[in-house]
Amino acid sequence: MEFKLEAHRIVSISLGKIYNSRVQRGGIKLHKNLLVSLVLRSARQVYLSDPCPGLYLAGPSGTPMALPQLPGEPAAGPAAGWGEPAPPAVPAAWQETQPHPERSAVPDAQRAVDAEPAAPGIDAGDAVLGGQAAAGPAWRLMEGPREAAAGGPGNPAGASEVFPEVARAASHHCGRPPGGEDQPGALGATPRGDCCCAKEEAPAPPPIGPRKRGAAGAGGVGGPAGCPAPSSTPLKKPRRDLEEPSSGAAAEEEEEMETGNVANLISIFGSSFSGLLRKSPGGGREEADGEENGPEAAEPGQICCDKPVLRDMNPWSTAIVAF
Amino acid sequence: VGGRGGTDIISTVEFNHTGELLATGDKGGRVVIFQREPESKNTPHSQGEYDVYSTFQSHEPEFDYLKSLEIEEKINKIKWLPQQNAAHSLLSTNDKTIKLWKITERDKRPEGYNLKDEEGKLKDLSTVTSLQVPVLKPMDLMVEVSPRRVFANGHTYHINSISVNSDCETYMSADDLRINLWHLAITDRSFNIVDIKPANMEDLTEVITASEFHPHHCNLFVYSSSKGSLRLCDMRAAALCDKHSKLFEEPEDPSNRSFFSEIISSVSDVKFSHSGRYMLTRDYLTVKVWDLNMEARPIETYQVHDYLRSKLCSLYENDCIFDKFECAWNGSDSVIMTGAYNNFFRMFDRNTKRDVTLEASRESSKPRAVLKPRRVCAGGKRRRDDISVDSLDFTKKILHTAWHPAENIIAIAATNNLYIFQDKVSSEMH
Repeated sequence: MEFKLEAHRIVSISLGKIYNSRVQRGGIKLHKNLLVSLVLRSARQVYLSDPCPGLYLAGPSGTPMALPQLPGEPAAGPAAGWGEPAPPAVPAAWQETQPHPERSAVPDAQRAVDAEPAAPGIDAGDAVLGGQAAAGPAWRLMEGPREAAAGGPGNPAGASEVFPEVARAASHHCGRPPGGEDQPGALGATPRGDCCCAKEEAPAPPPIGPRKRGAAGAGGVGGPAGCPAPSSTPLKKPRRDLEEPSSGAAAEEEEEMETGNVANLISIFGSSFSGLLRKSPGGGREEADGEENGPEAAEPGQICCDKPVLRDMNPWSTAIVAF
Repeated sequence: VGGRGGTDIISTVEFNHTGELLATGDKGGRVVIFQREPESKNTPHSQGEYDVYSTFQSHEPEFDYLKSLEIEEKINKIKWLPQQNAAHSLLSTNDKTIKLWKITERDKRPEGYNLKDEEGKLKDLSTVTSLQVPVLKPMDLMVEVSPRRVFANGHTYHINSISVNSDCETYMSADDLRINLWHLAITDRSFNIVDIKPANMEDLTEVITASEFHPHHCNLFVYSSSKGSLRLCDMRAAALCDKHSKLFEEPEDPSNRSFFSEIISSVSDVKFSHSGRYMLTRDYLTVKVWDLNMEARPIETYQVHDYLRSKLCSLYENDCIFDKFECAWNGSDSVIMTGAYNNFFRMFDRNTKRDVTLEASRESSKPRAVLKPRRVCAGGKRRRDDISVDSLDFTKKILHTAWHPAENIIAIAATNNLYIFQDKVSSEMH
């Protein structure tokens, strides 16, 4: 039980870090986020393999939710990651949880501009808490709004559109809105024709879906900058953080997101990083520098300093304190 | 001197090849070079102190509009070029761009122009009745720094290391996933020699954390990974060095396994010994010496602050576990040094196997003061001056240290302060 709590705590912290990394100056640090994702994965494995009775954890709305029992849950190998076939059915409490209303109000004006990937790990986090069922389909659900947003920059109305879709989608086993495929910018607008669930042999419906999807769906179209996440733990942050990488990367994203793998975090960071996704040719990888910007012009003359007069400082023989 | 938002936090420290110059880079993109004063009879007490020689702005913050990314101006690394003429040259790099700077001295100026007067204004030609040859007259020393090359657009990811080759013509720069080889005179192209980016970023499991050329063999270089392994590569074996010549890896101790095992095994720095026979690596809790001839395990492992092993979760929470400490050899490769928390730094004598913990603080830096060894007490018997683990200040971290190439002079960067100690190493060991 202790391990489970500890693991849960570590998961929360990790997700918070991934989330915060988006706003750090200098862009996302690939190394740090890779390490955080490894910790996340370890914690999740421990969490899922610890055969304790389900914990009651209060959600942000104050609704106590029962976590699914996970006996005999096949431990996800490192390669398999999070997108495993769904576990046994989850208590209905999940289904009735409504997505947070405040999320729909968040503008996503910045979404198209911000090339930084956000916190896809949050999905992973949700998956941890809510069992794995949502992980797979929930990931895929993300693709709808994500791709829609990728196609057209800025779909401010999308955020609010998503929610109605999400609520309705509760009953559908893969969470796709029953007929909402054509809604622009909404959940269902996934270019992939077939039901995403078909790809995964998920037998059971993901009843966790609605709450997750609420988080997920909202996340799909929201802009990261406007995330209020007022009372929520990092786990509950809206999936609008799941940022849309540059269009070149979106295509690559599609299949990667499918498995709901923790490594998806990397793919999002990676593609956001590389931007243009230059694929190196097989032979000599001589990279021409001048592709987009010419070599930087030599900067104007720098500061020339006279030898500064520090001689009035105490000449410490053992230490000099500069700056 | 406080800075705006910590822009004067030192981010790299490097002696030049003779030890005469010491360069520091900071978070604000500035480089400050110190020069050692020659010892003289006039100032018997200042045995070759370091004074500020030059200060310049190396990098400015930039914005990549395509990716909506701000590029930090923080200087990640400085490497000196071997001196080939009167001028000094160094490479400085931030996350994306490497620059070659030339530092020259001017201590003479021409006087006695025919057409210009003292202020440089054109003379009235009618007043010129004879011609004179301008002569060079001494002037106050002026240090001039100019950017000679800018190596831009070579890296998609964040540059973590640069290393000048012993051939003095090429250098390499490494980011999280790739290593590029540059010629010092050519800025518009570079050769990619290592690329560990997987075809599917989802499969990414490790990144490059540091890299360095061998000090003598211009074809060899090493790079370390976040998984704790070192790869020695031979550029003569293949144009692309994705396949290593040697892989140095120590099997993980299963009894020490925790959530954070992977993080603490990530190598934050790798340095060849001066002899070229050994490599020194730093991970979160240890420094290790590797023999190039033995790949299976390090030949020596030193615990830097093992008392933190039980605190990894808190250190993860406050991000300290991601701190990247550097390590350094002394000139004879007999002592290794690395930083720790609470402004402590550690030295390990490889021969005597003794180690010492010292503190870089203003109190300990009075003139001619001898540094007092410190001790961290992790429970058990506590001596009077011991510091308990729980009272360590984790905001005071010594990430960057440098050792003079020949003498026992060390430069310690403690946040925004630089300490230079002329340490009598042998007498300080426990």
